[in-house]
Amino acid sequence: MDIKDIKNRAEKDIKSAQNINDLDKVFQKYLGKKGQLTQVLHLLKDLPEEEKKKTGKIANQFKKEFLIKTENQKKNFSDTDSYNPKSEWIDVTLPGKKISTGHLNPITQVKREVEDIFERLGFSVVEGPEVESEKYNFDALNIPKNHPARDMWDTFWIKYQEKEKLLLRTHTSPVQIRYMEKHNPPLRIVAPGRVFRYEATDASHEINFYHIEGLMIDKNISIANFKAIIERFFQMFFKKSVKIRLRPSYFPFTEPSFEVDIGCLVCGGKGCSVCSQRGWLEMAGAGMVHPKVFKAVKLNPKNWQGFAFGLGLDRLTMMKYKIDDVRLLYGGDLKFLQQF
Amino acid sequence: MLFSYNWLQSFFDKKLLAPQKLAELLTLHSFEVEELKKNHNDWVFDLDITPNRAADCFSHLGIARECSVLTNTKIREEEIKVKENKSFDIKDYISVGVKNSKDCYRYTGRIIKGIKIKSSPRYIKERLFSCGLEPINNIVDAANYIMLELGQPLHAFDLDKIEGSKILIRRAKNGEKINTLDDKNYRLNNDVLVISDIKKVLAIAGIKGGKSVAINDGTKDIFIESANFNPTLIRKTSKKLNLKTDASFRFEHGMDSNLTEKAIDRLAELIQEVAGGDIVKGKIDIYPNKILSKSIKLDLRQTEKLLGVKISKNEIVRILKSLGLGVNKKLEIKIPTWRPDLNQNEDLIEEIGRIYGYENLKADFPKITLMPGSKNEEIIWEYKIKDTLRAVGFSEVYNYSFINKKIGDYSNSPLVELENPFSEEFYYLRPNLIINLLGNIKHNIKYFKKDEAIRIFEFGTVFKKTKNGIKEKKMLTGLITGNGQDFYALKGVVDALLESLGISDKFYDNFQISSENSQQIFWNIHKSAEIKANNMEIGFIGQLSSDILLKLENKKSVIAFEIDFNKLIKICNGEKEYQAASKFPSAIRDISILVPMRVKVADILNQINSVKENLVQDVDLFDIYEGDKKDREKKSLAFHIIFQAKNRTLNGDEIEFIFQKIIKALEENADWEVRKQS
Repeated sequence: MDIKDIKNRAEKDIKSAQNINDLDKVFQKYLGKKGQLTQVLHLLKDLPEEEKKKTGKIANQFKKEFLIKTENQKKNFSDTDSYNPKSEWIDVTLPGKKISTGHLNPITQVKREVEDIFERLGFSVVEGPEVESEKYNFDALNIPKNHPARDMWDTFWIKYQEKEKLLLRTHTSPVQIRYMEKHNPPLRIVAPGRVFRYEATDASHEINFYHIEGLMIDKNISIANFKAIIERFFQMFFKKSVKIRLRPSYFPFTEPSFEVDIGCLVCGGKGCSVCSQRGWLEMAGAGMVHPKVFKAVKLNPKNWQGFAFGLGLDRLTMMKYKIDDVRLLYGGDLKFLQQF
Repeated sequence: MLFSYNWLQSFFDKKLLAPQKLAELLTLHSFEVEELKKNHNDWVFDLDITPNRAADCFSHLGIARECSVLTNTKIREEEIKVKENKSFDIKDYISVGVKNSKDCYRYTGRIIKGIKIKSSPRYIKERLFSCGLEPINNIVDAANYIMLELGQPLHAFDLDKIEGSKILIRRAKNGEKINTLDDKNYRLNNDVLVISDIKKVLAIAGIKGGKSVAINDGTKDIFIESANFNPTLIRKTSKKLNLKTDASFRFEHGMDSNLTEKAIDRLAELIQEVAGGDIVKGKIDIYPNKILSKSIKLDLRQTEKLLGVKISKNEIVRILKSLGLGVNKKLEIKIPTWRPDLNQNEDLIEEIGRIYGYENLKADFPKITLMPGSKNEEIIWEYKIKDTLRAVGFSEVYNYSFINKKIGDYSNSPLVELENPFSEEFYYLRPNLIINLLGNIKHNIKYFKKDEAIRIFEFGTVFKKTKNGIKEKKMLTGLITGNGQDFYALKGVVDALLESLGISDKFYDNFQISSENSQQIFWNIHKSAEIKANNMEIGFIGQLSSDILLKLENKKSVIAFEIDFNKLIKICNGEKEYQAASKFPSAIRDISILVPMRVKVADILNQINSVKENLVQDVDLFDIYEGDKKDREKKSLAFHIIFQAKNRTLNGDEIEFIFQKIIKALEENADWEVRKQS
């Protein structure tokens, strides 16, 4: 038999082997006890000296190549480890050894993500106290005493004899006042934190919850700018294209004021139970900082303008994880927390 | 606030848009329509009228004006025709005095004689129903009707029951009483403004009428009142008496004093229509300080700058005029007195913006100087802590910032009290996180297998009352209970946590009992320690006291740590410096030492470290043997001592020399016995 012929066929056989068994058969066929190449090598000794030398060289070269090629092909089947199926069997469906890791409250996760997005948009994150004075929570925000506008914020008042009344902040807006008192524009901040409202609790109302307040002040910050920033925020948060709309509203500390709605993420605006058939979800209150607020922090409203907005982090959290009751977030139930 | 579609339609000759379409326009440009529902042959809008628009939009007229602007439809102007009977003169029937014009800005009144009480015509009843009011009789209904039409609260008195033909608007005398229309008794004081005759209080001004002068079936002659009172005064009284009415709600928001006259004429006209009678000639009108309309110069440049879009001057003028504002060539905008909310250019910008439509402002990113947001160190550390605790099996809970009254009273801490606590359950501000975390343990244990480990933590603000005010600080507190969850397990957690924050200088000290330490009742002081870092106490770790566990109905032993974040943050350190590990082999010698039971590991380590040898690379406790239970006076501790040099392989003699020094140092203490060496 012609060695070249054997070689060609052997190479084809190696290539067409589908698994380790096939390859084993190929090996037996050529290099097994009665293998074709074995036989050639075996017959060498009977050949005349010169031919022996010549054919031997070719045959041995072929054997070397054959071994390398089968070895390479073996790697393709990636099962290079030999094992004893009787003693070394692994049940891959058996549970792994348990490592107990904990879980962070979903609000923490959302708060972090929201802060991160605003940081990427150029805002700095600042914080402020939870017990506030009437001045920072109301007066400096142009919410006068004995004005019906105060009814928009049901307040927990603190029993304490002091010149100024203390309360649990009803929003994180006081942080913008504190910040503007100490820093000169341009300003870009967000102020996340816990806020309090004295109101009956239900699936969407709590006596404490989380807000994030944003503020951007510069020479020419406009409503059009606000639209761009807030739209980008929602797109980054929900990781998809989100429609927004502004509706006129009223807040004593902004003028003009508006509510920010986003197109319902569930029905896309057609109307469903999530959006109470409106097609829109109310997400934030916002507006252009009121001249009286600038005056309260001794900035000249002729020189500066900008927007402020407030977002409920609980609401974002509930939307993101489809949580239907805000009270779950403050219940400390591990069966709930372990899902996050 | 409820508005009737049919009623709104009555202001227009042309057909209005369909209710749904109108609702959408109102939501986008004026006020949110919270609900639109069918009511017989009418539609009812529930509008969220913002408090700044009370003066004009707590009325159908106001909403009709908005509809007119939004749909470009003209409102029908109807003249009010009051047919007075010249043979009667109001001066002959009543005189009115206002004690203080700061309390009562304007007081307008008319008299109608010979009316007939009956039920109202159907259209009035239907419209009142649509707006959520119960019809009573034609006079009361007419007053309510005009209030809903124009926004002006009105009141009708039975003229015959007013004694002395005199009305005085004055502050109540302390202790003066009134029985109101709904048959409730109020004791008044000097803070309350009242309408009175020469003998009695007829009404709580702007809030509620009195029964003594109520309209009833026998009423023939009436005095009708249309007034404007000081909003703050009305609000304070309404709050104090806990009496909120449609009238008080309007007055406390501030009404237009110039509306009273139109309203009283309109009411007289309507009463004559529905109850007959003669309108007496003339009217009472006490209005010493007339409110005049004001002008604002429109700043086009600022308008464009704030909106972020250029709207043509023509369009701006059209919008402002359609809103009923006067506009002249110089762009001085004349504000009618029914728009007290318009005081400055920004207010005009809002009007222009909302009517033009915010949806027509194209989103546009600000063109500003690049200014990277600065990272907040505190928040970075907070998240680092949370991540570390999460990684070692702790779940994060959020609890309320309030604690139960009973627990608070028991805890004997300087607690922060609320003027208006939510309930006994949420009574004081939390002085620590432990109390509510224990509540979480109690709650969760029910759902867990027996002795299953629970690890929870919370990061949050706690509050304390001090001489210098209310102090708040951020705390980090973790609790563990169940299988394997003991002091040492938690200490390992705290060690790992501090390590992750770059705090290496830390140790645990016996709990110091101090008189001002209100924490004491929470900890079993024999099984607790102070956590110290950089020589400062930053918190506590240990077993919670059985007292507090009992009080919170917790049967299981609970181990806790509590760290003051404000202190911790000062010593957190993100800096790290690489040090090359020695390439030369280390040698280990083991040592075993028998010491009295109460000797601390730290004492032994200190003694070993007192041999100042930098070739001792580490000392590692690997075994503790405390003997059998009967003979618990001594214990045996075994340590690996690891020797290593940076620059060479140590030889046996060197190691032996140091090792002997260590043994000697340990044996300096007579009670200690080094037992074994290898």
